[in-house]
Amino acid sequence: MPALLLTLLKLIFLAFIYLFVWQIARAVHSHLGGGDLKLRSRRTDEVVIVKSSTQAGTTIDPRTPVVLGRSPQADIVLDDPYASEFHFRMVRRPEGIVVNDLGSTNGTYVNGRRIAAPVTLSKGDTIQVGNTVMEVR
Amino acid sequence: MNRDAEAALLVGISVVAALGVALVNLAQGGNVDAQVALTFIVFLAALGGVHVSVRRWAPDASPFLLPLAGVLTTIGFVEVYRIDAQLGGLQRWWLLIASGLAVGLLALLRGPGVSVFRRYRYLLLVTAVLLLLMPMLPTAGLPLRGVVAGGSRLWVAFELGPVAIHFQPGEIAKLLLVIFLASYLGERQAVLAHSTRKIGRWSMPEPRHLLPIVIAWLLSFAILVVQRDLGASLLLFATFIAMLYAATGRASYVTSGTGLFFAGALIAAASFDHVQRRVTAWLHPFDDPQGAGYQILQSLFALASGSLSGAGLGVGTPGRIPAASTDFIFSAVGEELGLAGTVAVLATYALLIAVGFGIAIRSREPFRKLLAAGLTFVLGFQAFLIIAGVTRVLPLTGITLPFMSYGGSSLVANFLLLAILLRISHEEHTV
Repeated sequence: MPALLLTLLKLIFLAFIYLFVWQIARAVHSHLGGGDLKLRSRRTDEVVIVKSSTQAGTTIDPRTPVVLGRSPQADIVLDDPYASEFHFRMVRRPEGIVVNDLGSTNGTYVNGRRIAAPVTLSKGDTIQVGNTVMEVR
Repeated sequence: MNRDAEAALLVGISVVAALGVALVNLAQGGNVDAQVALTFIVFLAALGGVHVSVRRWAPDASPFLLPLAGVLTTIGFVEVYRIDAQLGGLQRWWLLIASGLAVGLLALLRGPGVSVFRRYRYLLLVTAVLLLLMPMLPTAGLPLRGVVAGGSRLWVAFELGPVAIHFQPGEIAKLLLVIFLASYLGERQAVLAHSTRKIGRWSMPEPRHLLPIVIAWLLSFAILVVQRDLGASLLLFATFIAMLYAATGRASYVTSGTGLFFAGALIAAASFDHVQRRVTAWLHPFDDPQGAGYQILQSLFALASGSLSGAGLGVGTPGRIPAASTDFIFSAVGEELGLAGTVAVLATYALLIAVGFGIAIRSREPFRKLLAAGLTFVLGFQAFLIIAGVTRVLPLTGITLPFMSYGGSSLVANFLLLAILLRISHEEHTV
């Protein structure tokens, strides 16, 4: 066997091994690291106010529990006459964003339904308080 | 990545194994012969067999484990075949047996799952200790006898008429001990993690909870003294500390364990000849290049002459490295495939370990979590110990490189380990 050909074959063999390791590495990456990071940033769901007279476009990051209401003491002050002083609370949990009503007068609506108990939201769900509509993104 | 992609990778890996054998044959002036076809068929049957049983009995298992183990087995096998074609032929049989046993284990676990191990944990512990003691059997007279090899007592021979089997019971004992520890620590997790005593600024585990550490330390010390097996001794102790850490998350176990280890290492280096010789050969290999330093120097020369892409399969001279097909397989790969080959091996181990710990992290149930972490640790630490040994990062400890070294016991133990990991990832839906 000529040495040149053998060298070539050796390089091809190495290339094959790398091809495999690379394929698996990519899959592992998208599964463990990369995909997970994306998942986490997706799970870093933010709540965006999509409809409001003055606050549309505001994003809320419920990393720690956030109380929303009309009171100046609320974490997020809602500019909405139909909102109660302390209207509802939301917090991000591993399973999604958990919303619970704090005994508001006009109620908290998730996807158009008034909630009675804490509800877990995922991407795309909407929360409505008075005339203010928020969406989980 | 899904099962079909996994299957495609496994077929591809079998092709690479056959390609490697063809390359070795050509380089040595031979032809593409039946060996090539046989290798392809055996790899396909072995890896495919495990794959099919995963599809049947652990369909939610991680699809990464098997291809990664396949890559390691392939590189290892091609190098073993190149060093000694006959040994390569035997390795193919071992691969079939190992994968067959892995299939059997997956079948056994299909109903009860890995938690069945917990029920038999003391039985497993006793079996593990007996297996560890087996090489101490008298070296002659009985059909089952201990064997002294290279100054260590690791081997057991079973001879009955024409049948003679040599095996290393320590490889299986290692698995059983990890299973036992996972089950034992899984239940005592809370106690071990929370009862601490403050000494100044440091919080120490309660003295009575340190007792298991001391027992493990004594046990691994006994292995070192009686069986003269540096590698197994270190592996056992490190695994125990790692699992305690995984169970409790307390760094104090790691620090006290490391302290005990260094104390033990100093005592051992000062008082035992065989340990002292290893350390001297590690620190000053050139003092005795034909004697104590011979192995490590040959390994270093092989790695150096391998350069970037190696001499080429079948072209190098791995025969100059002692124990090239077992402990020093990494150096043999380094000589013939160069830095490129060794980096591929390291990357594959890194990926395998990342996937294994990923399974542990995503598992919820403490026993499975600890089992996955422990098995992955054993695999990774063993690879680290021997690679560090042949590259002179650590004193040489004679253990096998998982999935790559020639040897039935090692291959069987590692395929069983793989089967358990696959099963855990299936049960915990960690993908």
